[in-house]
Amino acid sequence: MFWVSLFTMGRATNSSSSSIDSSSHPTVSSASSFPRLKRDLSTDLSLGLSISTSDHHYCPSTPREQQSDWPPIKTLLRKALAGEGNKCNDATFFVKVYMEGIPIGRKLDLFAHDGYHALIRTLDDMFSTTILWAEVDGVLHSEKCHVLTYEDKEGDWMMVGDVPWELFLTTVKRLKITRVDKY
Amino acid sequence: MDSKRKMDSPESNVLTRSSPFPDEVLERVLGLVKSHKDRSSVSLVCKDWYNAERWSRTHVFIGNCYSVSPEIVARRFPNIRSVTLKGKPRFSDFNLVPLNWGADIHAWLVVFASKYPLLEELRLKRMTVTDESLEFLATTFTNFKALSLLSCDGFSTDGLAAIATHCKNMTELDIQENGIDDLGGGWLSCFPENFTSLEVLNFANLSSDVSFDALEKLVSRCRSLKFLKVNKNITLEQLQRLLECAPQLTELGTGSFHQELTTRQYAELESAFNNCKNLNTLSGLWEATPLYLPVLYPACTNLTFLNLSDAALQSGELAKLLAYCPNLQRLWVLDTVEDKGLEAVGSSCPLLEELRVFPADPYEQDVVHGVTEMGFVAVSYGCPRLHYVLYFCRQMTNAAVATIVKNCPDFTHFRLCVMNPGEPDYLTNEPMDEAFGAVVKNCTKLQRLAVSGLLTDLTFEYIGKYAKNLETLSVAFAGSSDWGMQCVLSGCSKLRKLEIRDCPFGNEALLSGLEKYESMRSLWMSACNVTMNACRRLAKQMPRLNVEVMKDEESDDSQADKVYVYRSVAGPRRDAPPFVLTL
Repeated sequence: MFWVSLFTMGRATNSSSSSIDSSSHPTVSSASSFPRLKRDLSTDLSLGLSISTSDHHYCPSTPREQQSDWPPIKTLLRKALAGEGNKCNDATFFVKVYMEGIPIGRKLDLFAHDGYHALIRTLDDMFSTTILWAEVDGVLHSEKCHVLTYEDKEGDWMMVGDVPWELFLTTVKRLKITRVDKY
Repeated sequence: MDSKRKMDSPESNVLTRSSPFPDEVLERVLGLVKSHKDRSSVSLVCKDWYNAERWSRTHVFIGNCYSVSPEIVARRFPNIRSVTLKGKPRFSDFNLVPLNWGADIHAWLVVFASKYPLLEELRLKRMTVTDESLEFLATTFTNFKALSLLSCDGFSTDGLAAIATHCKNMTELDIQENGIDDLGGGWLSCFPENFTSLEVLNFANLSSDVSFDALEKLVSRCRSLKFLKVNKNITLEQLQRLLECAPQLTELGTGSFHQELTTRQYAELESAFNNCKNLNTLSGLWEATPLYLPVLYPACTNLTFLNLSDAALQSGELAKLLAYCPNLQRLWVLDTVEDKGLEAVGSSCPLLEELRVFPADPYEQDVVHGVTEMGFVAVSYGCPRLHYVLYFCRQMTNAAVATIVKNCPDFTHFRLCVMNPGEPDYLTNEPMDEAFGAVVKNCTKLQRLAVSGLLTDLTFEYIGKYAKNLETLSVAFAGSSDWGMQCVLSGCSKLRKLEIRDCPFGNEALLSGLEKYESMRSLWMSACNVTMNACRRLAKQMPRLNVEVMKDEESDDSQADKVYVYRSVAGPRRDAPPFVLTL
């Protein structure tokens, strides 16, 4: 659910009842909503198009940031936040990912993920399987599952997830998804 | 001045005077009264006091530039040296007011040029200031000393260059959060080489590079410099050199706090901070990392205000830093510190009076981090003196707020922003009425309140019933009917500013405040259910109010999309742009 919603709130209701349904996340709304709807629509679309990276690579120069009037934060404070190194970083770190049995590998930007959970989600999608890693150790039972391993700086193959994410980033060279029975 | 005064007030000759004091004594005594509210009271006592007050006043504060005209001000107060003016409605900070709305300082400057040629200080908030105005200011007022521009727009760095070039006696140049056209940092180099009077310099929000050489020389020769806030482009290495020149600083805004330093440079930086024993305020710290924060530690002993709203710190880093700030009274942070960071605040800062927590990712819906009600509760347990809070979060409960105000009953400013509009108590799924009920019942000194979350009219019944000292109320996406707003208007006797957006309040509510608005500074209502006809009725019945409407492009003719009502002795605006309809 996104901030910018196509629902109108205030104007559509009578003054006698608040129709705020907490699950519908009404946002900038009301009779004056039409111009905002136009804007909302375009940002809704842009969010839709960039969905794969929207959570982690949020680049604040989208229309939504500059024209938004909620939450009530002063424009320049927002601009200062936009400059914050953490989120809008141009740096990338692509590593090769191979799935056992498939000769053609993929490439994945580790910097576009903020932790193991995000990485696993992306890999699950990319390879249409369920990836097992250190956090789900002990549940290695299904034949349809794969285990995620990585090659570290010393050339050893290790199971992903044992060390803190930041440390992992400094040592990983490539990823491999191995079949469970071989593990 | 004496002869002028006697001619001006014939009634204060000996036979009719009620006061046994000679006018001079009265003026001398009243001259010591600084607060503008007290001065207002003084002026109402009797004619003698009114006159003594107006002659002795040197500073005037005008909370709404359209409530009075510069001519009226000059007529009443002949000896003004310092002016503070506020312009646009506060919601203009959040893009709710179109550009070119007004609040231009120029007309004021023209009158001041003839009536207050010795003007020394000008402090503006949410006003439009052009480069021409700045140039006019710099070249007309030879005694000009202090310029403070907060949330203003319309000027560029060229205007600042004019100020630097011409104002020989400048003590204060404070440029904050403005919509400024940054054409380059050359303005700073315009301060002449023999210029040494600067005491306050704040250019933290300007984005382009200034000449570091010029800055360093400026800082070295201004021996009275007390406040220095530089922008992000100043590096740690450069900061160290500035601190070497100015160890006497009491307020410091650093530049970028992230640079690869050699061991020796690190040591020099640490030593520079060690020498800054007078620091009470620290800000800036862009991109601060755990690596360099420790250099600050020795300078933190006397810190009373720490502004970390530009530094996305994690909880651990904050905790370590706060351990060195035992005297902290005001703290501003980003919600990257999370609840754990706020627990550290509770345990390290027993003297804390003000806390502001800003969201690092205000536009992200699916954020799992940030702060919750737990962080706020933790601070309330550790900081019983807390009286000012601005808190952005994504979840809150009625119970948590009740606990918070039980721990801290002295709130004067309670601004809670649950970022998702209409968000209920996340544990009980009920409206947040009881939370704000608890706030107004417990905090009898409450002056300013901002509400959020899912709220029915009950919240406003509570506010009207209990918030007897409330002066400013901000409401968004709340309430059920006109009744809510009516409760506030009839119950809050000291209400001065009411700003409402996206609420189901309509004509009945608007018109119920007919008598009230003259005792208030202003009312703002946008995206509510108010019609043009109701606004016209209000304007007709209350001629001393200015009723202004701004319509949105495609709304229906009868709707009054944005309504701004304020009292004025200057009559309707003569500079209103076409999109502002004065009724």
